[in-house]
Amino acid sequence: MTKGLLTTAVGSYPKPDYLTQARNRLARREIGQEELRELERKATEEWVRFQEEIGMDILVDGEMYRGDMVTYFSENMEGWAISGLVRSYGNRYYRKPVATGPVRRKGPITLEWWRYTQGLTKKPVKGMLTGPYTMADWSFNEHYPTREAFVLDLARAVHEEALDLEKAGARYIQIDEPAVSTRPEEMELAVKALGIVTKGLSAYTITHICYGDFAAVFDGLLRLPVDNLDLEMTNSNYNLLGLFRERKGKLKKDLSMGVLDVHSHLIETVDQVKKGIRLGLEVFAPERLYIDPDCGLKTREVEEAKAKLRVMATAVREVKQELGIE
Amino acid sequence: MILPYALCSVNFRLLLPVPLGAATMDATLRKGFLLLTATVVGSYPKLPAQAGAPNLRTALARLERGQITAEEFQRTEDLVTEVVIKEQVQAGVGLISDGQIRWEDGQTYFARRIGGFSINGLIRYFNNNTYFRQPAVTGKLGWQGPIGVRDFLFAKERSPVPVKAVITGPYTLARLSQDQAYHNLRTLVLDLAEVLNQEAIALQRSGATFIQFDEPAILKWKGDFALFEEACRRLTRGLTAKTALYLYFWDIGELYPDLFHLPFQAYGLDFVSGEANYQIVKEFPSDKELGLGILDGRNTRLEPVEELVEGVRRMSSVVSLDRMYVSPSCGLEFLPRDRANQKLVRLVEGVKKAREALS
Repeated sequence: MTKGLLTTAVGSYPKPDYLTQARNRLARREIGQEELRELERKATEEWVRFQEEIGMDILVDGEMYRGDMVTYFSENMEGWAISGLVRSYGNRYYRKPVATGPVRRKGPITLEWWRYTQGLTKKPVKGMLTGPYTMADWSFNEHYPTREAFVLDLARAVHEEALDLEKAGARYIQIDEPAVSTRPEEMELAVKALGIVTKGLSAYTITHICYGDFAAVFDGLLRLPVDNLDLEMTNSNYNLLGLFRERKGKLKKDLSMGVLDVHSHLIETVDQVKKGIRLGLEVFAPERLYIDPDCGLKTREVEEAKAKLRVMATAVREVKQELGIE
Repeated sequence: MILPYALCSVNFRLLLPVPLGAATMDATLRKGFLLLTATVVGSYPKLPAQAGAPNLRTALARLERGQITAEEFQRTEDLVTEVVIKEQVQAGVGLISDGQIRWEDGQTYFARRIGGFSINGLIRYFNNNTYFRQPAVTGKLGWQGPIGVRDFLFAKERSPVPVKAVITGPYTLARLSQDQAYHNLRTLVLDLAEVLNQEAIALQRSGATFIQFDEPAILKWKGDFALFEEACRRLTRGLTAKTALYLYFWDIGELYPDLFHLPFQAYGLDFVSGEANYQIVKEFPSDKELGLGILDGRNTRLEPVEELVEGVRRMSSVVSLDRMYVSPSCGLEFLPRDRANQKLVRLVEGVKKAREALS
């Protein structure tokens, strides 16, 4: 593997049309679970081949088999029900998980998919988990008397899952916590919960956070017990780097820097991305700077996502050549 | 009363005046005779719990595909609003809203009818896992005519109990917008206060006796209280209707006690996400009314009646029951429809029990 500026992805990729259609057909009971599973495997393999082709360093399975990042876990655990429809925005509605009893793992949740994906490639595949704070914050709670009790029970369940992934050989484990930036007043709880998740892990741990007013929670983010913080950067025009620059020399964590806007149809140019990477290099040494998209790419078209990822790969390769770190 | 859509499944008998008619109730409310009024904060889930009922999601999708006209879409909005009014009245809520069925979100509904705004991309709504389209201020803001008057009158004509008119306040609207024109929060907020004052006057002229301003943003940026106060004075100028300030998602913290000296007759606070309000509000002006948001509007857990009675009891030493409203902590649109309805029923059960236990 190369030294520095490792490339990866935040987690989700768009589902190919045949898979979206198959999911709808399953919902209408026109096909069975096994037929869908076969297509999910096919789509996963296609994304693995694509990531290898562009020379990505740390791969993801693309989450072809997941719908919502919280619901996927709740559906595969004990203690959960699913709500009636609630509105997300505009004309978009979804069903929200409801904790109706103690939330526990029935068994491994993501392990089988991780093993399958790792079996397809020699490159490391990241274990991808939704963090306990986000799971609790984005669910209804009809069981626990306090948010803290809910979050901490979830932390223990996610910890078990992380241990299973590590035992199976995962060298990178990412625990997504997008919700932590929206409630600065609960940052301590998020830190404590993530501490339970990552306790005793020897794998390299990453947490992805988005959406929030980062300045208000930045000190808290730096205390999250993981090796690497994964933040969106293009969204803020790389202004977020300023927060790191102020603490240059004192930073203990590595950074995964988002260089692709996942909300835009526009494909970034290689020069735009290279400029972003160079800004990151002003604060972080290359071996501590990872490069990825701002967030999951699942809302883009397959071809848009691929075009963006190709630009990212080219930009990283060129910067590395210029720095002589190939 | 004209009921043009009486052929649908709505039971209109429930919408006809009940013995305690709207006019009487209005007068009663204004004098504050009622012990503990059950009310709502505003929004209500748009989709029905059962198939077959008027469905806005389907209607909007068909409108976007050009399969129905704007008028046909509005007819669905009207039908859903009638059902939502009925659910509130049937539950026994004493002061209802129109459910804000026609609101895309709390910002867009106003911004798209105010001169100087355009509507941008999606952003997260405070600390909720929901999004709204962010208004962008692109020029001098100006009131161009009534925004919510037609919708208020629609609800008022169909409700046997008083209907509150709700306006997203100038501070919150400004804070949640992207300022591309003023580059100055103060002048932006104050201009919006003038605009929304005209809207409130229009609602008052159309018969609104209870006008509520929603300002959750001031709880997130409490340091702006001086500006907020200035805006509230402009906002309420010339209003003789009862005015209320509703603040949710957090406690009021250091805004106590200055908050209660603003020119509003009633205050609605969140005692769920802002549980600390129980300790913070030690005293309350004797000429004002307090709304207790004690049912969680953001969680499906159905509170036991005793819990509601206990909430009322805790504040009854600070505010007398004839000056107290009880409501969910925020709008109910965060919940699925059936649970929102169950919350309203539970709210009224709690109010009745609290009246018995405490009066």
